[in-house]
Amino acid sequence: MSESQALVPAPAWRRGSAAPPLLLAGSILLYVGVAFWTGQTKMLETDGVIGLLERMVALGIVALGQTFAIIAGSIDLSVANMISVAAVLASFIMHGRADMMLAAVLVVLAVSALVGVVNGAIISRLKVNPFIATLGVGLILQGLLSASFTDFAGSVPREFQAVAYGSFGVVPYSVAALFVLAALASFVLWATRFGAHLYAVGGNAEGARLAGIRTDLVTTGAHVVCSLSAGVTGLYLASRLRSGAPWIGRDGVYDLESIAVVVIGGTLLAGGRGGVWGTLAGVLLFASLDAAFNMMGVSAYPKLVLRGAIVIAAVAVYTVRTRGHVA
Amino acid sequence: MTLALDEARRRSRAIDAARRINIAAVVFLVFYLTVGVLQPTYLEPAGVMNFLRRAAPLAILASGQIFVLVSGGFDLSVGSLVTLTVIGGSMLTANDPSKTWWAIAVLYAIGFVVGLINGAVVAYLRTPSIIATLGALLSVNGAAMMWCGGAPRGYLPDNFRMFGRFVFHDVPLIKIFPLAIVVLAAVCGLAYWGLHGTVFGRRVFAVGDNARAAELAGVQVAYVRLGVFVISALAAVTAGVMLAGFGGVSIDVGLGLELQAIAACVVGGVQLMGGRGTLVGAVAGALTLTALFALLTLLGLPQPLKETAQGTILIAAVAFGAWRRRRVG
Amino acid sequence: MEQAALALEMLNITKTFPGVQALDDVSFGCARGEVHALCGENGAGKSTLIKILGGVYQPDSGTIRLDGREVAFSHPIAARRAGISIIHQELSLLPNRSVAENIFLGIEPTRFGLLDRRTMREEARRLLKRLGSSVAPETLAGDLSIAHQQIVEIAKALAVDARILVMDEPTAALDRVDASRLLDLARKLSTEDVSIVFISHRMPEIQTVADRVTVLKDGRTVMTAPLAEAPTSRLVRAMVGRDLTDFYPPRSSQPPGAVALTVRHAGNKRLHGISFEVRAGEIVGVAGLEGSGKNAVARALIGDAPFESGGMEIGGRAVKSRNPRAAIQAGLGRLSDDRKREGLLMQQSVRDNAMLIERAFAPPLGSPTAGPMSPEATDKRLIQLDVRATSFDQEVQFLSGGNQQRVIIARWLARNPEILIFCEPTRGVDVAAKAEIYKIMRETANRGRAILMVSSDLPEIVGVSDRILVMREGALAGELSGGAAEEDVMALAVAQDRESQAMAS
Repeated sequence: MSESQALVPAPAWRRGSAAPPLLLAGSILLYVGVAFWTGQTKMLETDGVIGLLERMVALGIVALGQTFAIIAGSIDLSVANMISVAAVLASFIMHGRADMMLAAVLVVLAVSALVGVVNGAIISRLKVNPFIATLGVGLILQGLLSASFTDFAGSVPREFQAVAYGSFGVVPYSVAALFVLAALASFVLWATRFGAHLYAVGGNAEGARLAGIRTDLVTTGAHVVCSLSAGVTGLYLASRLRSGAPWIGRDGVYDLESIAVVVIGGTLLAGGRGGVWGTLAGVLLFASLDAAFNMMGVSAYPKLVLRGAIVIAAVAVYTVRTRGHVA
Repeated sequence: MTLALDEARRRSRAIDAARRINIAAVVFLVFYLTVGVLQPTYLEPAGVMNFLRRAAPLAILASGQIFVLVSGGFDLSVGSLVTLTVIGGSMLTANDPSKTWWAIAVLYAIGFVVGLINGAVVAYLRTPSIIATLGALLSVNGAAMMWCGGAPRGYLPDNFRMFGRFVFHDVPLIKIFPLAIVVLAAVCGLAYWGLHGTVFGRRVFAVGDNARAAELAGVQVAYVRLGVFVISALAAVTAGVMLAGFGGVSIDVGLGLELQAIAACVVGGVQLMGGRGTLVGAVAGALTLTALFALLTLLGLPQPLKETAQGTILIAAVAFGAWRRRRVG
Repeated sequence: MEQAALALEMLNITKTFPGVQALDDVSFGCARGEVHALCGENGAGKSTLIKILGGVYQPDSGTIRLDGREVAFSHPIAARRAGISIIHQELSLLPNRSVAENIFLGIEPTRFGLLDRRTMREEARRLLKRLGSSVAPETLAGDLSIAHQQIVEIAKALAVDARILVMDEPTAALDRVDASRLLDLARKLSTEDVSIVFISHRMPEIQTVADRVTVLKDGRTVMTAPLAEAPTSRLVRAMVGRDLTDFYPPRSSQPPGAVALTVRHAGNKRLHGISFEVRAGEIVGVAGLEGSGKNAVARALIGDAPFESGGMEIGGRAVKSRNPRAAIQAGLGRLSDDRKREGLLMQQSVRDNAMLIERAFAPPLGSPTAGPMSPEATDKRLIQLDVRATSFDQEVQFLSGGNQQRVIIARWLARNPEILIFCEPTRGVDVAAKAEIYKIMRETANRGRAILMVSSDLPEIVGVSDRILVMREGALAGELSGGAAEEDVMALAVAQDRESQAMAS
């Protein structure tokens, strides 16, 4: 029995997957291709590319959080409603006043963290399936929100709109923030004990528990990160739309799409493996698809039909190679 | 093993089975009686019939969803299929009663195809059913919107609506007898036979318990998966036809129904990881949920908070199930 | 002269679960640097004792002493901190993480609050070297063979400076060569003052490596003795309560019947040039080291990883096992070596498990209890095979390993294929049940079926088979007649090494 095979360490890219560079190439090809095909080559200039990157921000930020949840072997289906709650709360508290900006942001972050704690507790203490738990919490949030607000609530002061519309020269604040957050997330996953424990709990929760890791705290931590990211996305959307409405999250299909981009980025749905850059590559793909649809003039309803099909296709391309049985 | 031991064991087995069924049914009776206390009309024969009529769509959905759950998956597209059925029904019949039967046939065909696609994506593309059916939910909802151009027509011919609405009057003893209950009984009977009385049903349990072992024993796992999703979709179409009789045509008619169906099954003792569950439990769960919603409405809960209640019930039901399993296993 | 306190003492341990007394006043001790073997039938209480030692359960009464100090563990982590490490049969490594990350799971060293990966790497390398392994710390654990993974598990234990290493059937999944390497490692560690407690069903291994042996039976200590006073026969008698003189059933006195299965020049990614025959009435053993392809042959025959070249004939008809269903239809059957993952439907009843194959082929809309699938017929078969359960409606997960194996055998006998392949038929099965299973195999053969037995257990291969096929590196290394010496089988299985040794000297 040869030991020599065991001596060679796995190349660094094996830890994630080959997905990121492939997705990157695919997205670029798609975007450039459709731009040429529809004659909208203007989209290839700086403005167009920046626009594409801006399309990534909302989904990108929440997908970063979702990555943490899925690596830990969990999943978060409450993010869409959390985004709505965040946007509406922020807009409502600010009420157009710049001096309320800080208070609004703090409240939103606090509420987001609380929702994350609740999700984590239901999953780790009550031992409820994460899918059901977060779906249930999402429903609860949606109900509470719909009972209190039926339309746009309050408004966002101009100073706050800078979040979505301001820029360092050519690069928008929001895009810069996305990449900074991604780098931060990547760092946490690689270089902290929390990151190592996330992978452990996702890979083998029982083994992690026997090794002394507090799996309930790790799961809750992952959900807090996820809900916080949804909160930040809500803040961003409130800034962008200048106000918050209860249907923002659902309309954007952020729950399903954040899961899809995480999976196609190479993170295993079962947990224990994956990373942040893969997720971003997945987000780029979706942003390119969205831009391509707009360039081709696809209207709203067909887009919905296609969105569902694309999400399935995007995940299926990755999962079709699974050798075991899937339910 | 001696004969006496056999007898004793058989008896204890029967007690166990009785105990299991009874919990779901007992919970339902408790809720129903509570509702009856607050609103005595529920305890009259006509009230009971009406209640069953109102609970029928959910019970039908649960009867289909249980197949998917026992096989280890989830079907989240049933709510959108209900919406598609109602909207498609109005588009196909165009208020012409002679087209009803043809429209229903087409709708069942659509449901069959959707179920087939769901099953194929899970079985052959190995996509987890959560993702596959959530994507189907999006697409089917979008298709429903596309079909009516965003503006659902409010009309359906009477013979289409009769499955939900029609009631036999002047029936001895029970005063009224809704057609819906006939449909409910037929569907539940069919589902009970399918799940507990056929070889196919046992294969569903096997696949949900250990698909790999089932495959190695010669079970065609892919066909089982295709089967369960088709069954769930056909049940959704049936529920849709019935719901079309209840109210108007709207894009929200199916909203959240898939979660209600899953909650009903879980309340009835169906295990989310597959391999365990009874049809009687699923139906009892559906009746329990309907009674619970009736109770909440009677207590004055505003409509949007119904979703909040749903979410809480869902979590509570699954948590309870998980707690019970930990105690026993 | 005062005796030094024993490294480990478990005294008067009693543990009761609802309805079952798992341990009744069990005591055993282990000195520093001692290798202590624990054996007993399934259900004797070994597993419970180990779990108490590891802090998974708390004893109802009794004490545990480490180096004379009394301790109590409320949680596995407490046991781990006290220097006790348990290596379970199911390895708990994270396949997508590196060896170093696995070794330091839960105890990752940090510098300024961040993971100190350099220290992890260097320490991991040092630990692995101490265990004689040259595996690179950055290797993904999932890429390692089981033998290497086990070494990583031991490294994990040493990383927390374990003084007492408990191994639960460590060689169950290893072939002869890897198993002996592991046992050598255990000896080496014991000379470094690590006490080793290991559970094993393999008598030859116990004789090779243990210093003392304790036998548990029905939750009680039946015997504790140094190795010199514990020959296998005495151990077996203590475990089972009687002499197992007819451990291996006598071979068939009749000559084998017609050829049932012919394989000609078959091959796939893992196998090449496989040709052999099996006749009705024969038990043909398939032996070989891990990676030799013996299990791959079984998987190819049953259509799980089919042959891509060459041909197969059953009863003279050419067949192709494209998938398990086709193989079963052609007349083959296989009991998997991993019954938990590939055989049992844990939450279904004993009866439902026994009827699985019949139901795979019965008309889908027919009744599941019709004809041969009736409860009466099923029960009869289960009783014939002596399946012990509270009731046949009980979920199969509550049965012991031996009984679970019998349910699976019942399942296949219901189908009654011409050729039945048993893969590791007695893995995880206690001594008495093993003998029963061999008897069942022989009876099935005597009824005219052809049996292939793939096994890593050499005594079993040599004791039960009429003929032995030896696999090596994906091909047939040779064939021996039944009753051949174990050394001859090993010689064929490792011939390569011998040649290279000859060349080197």
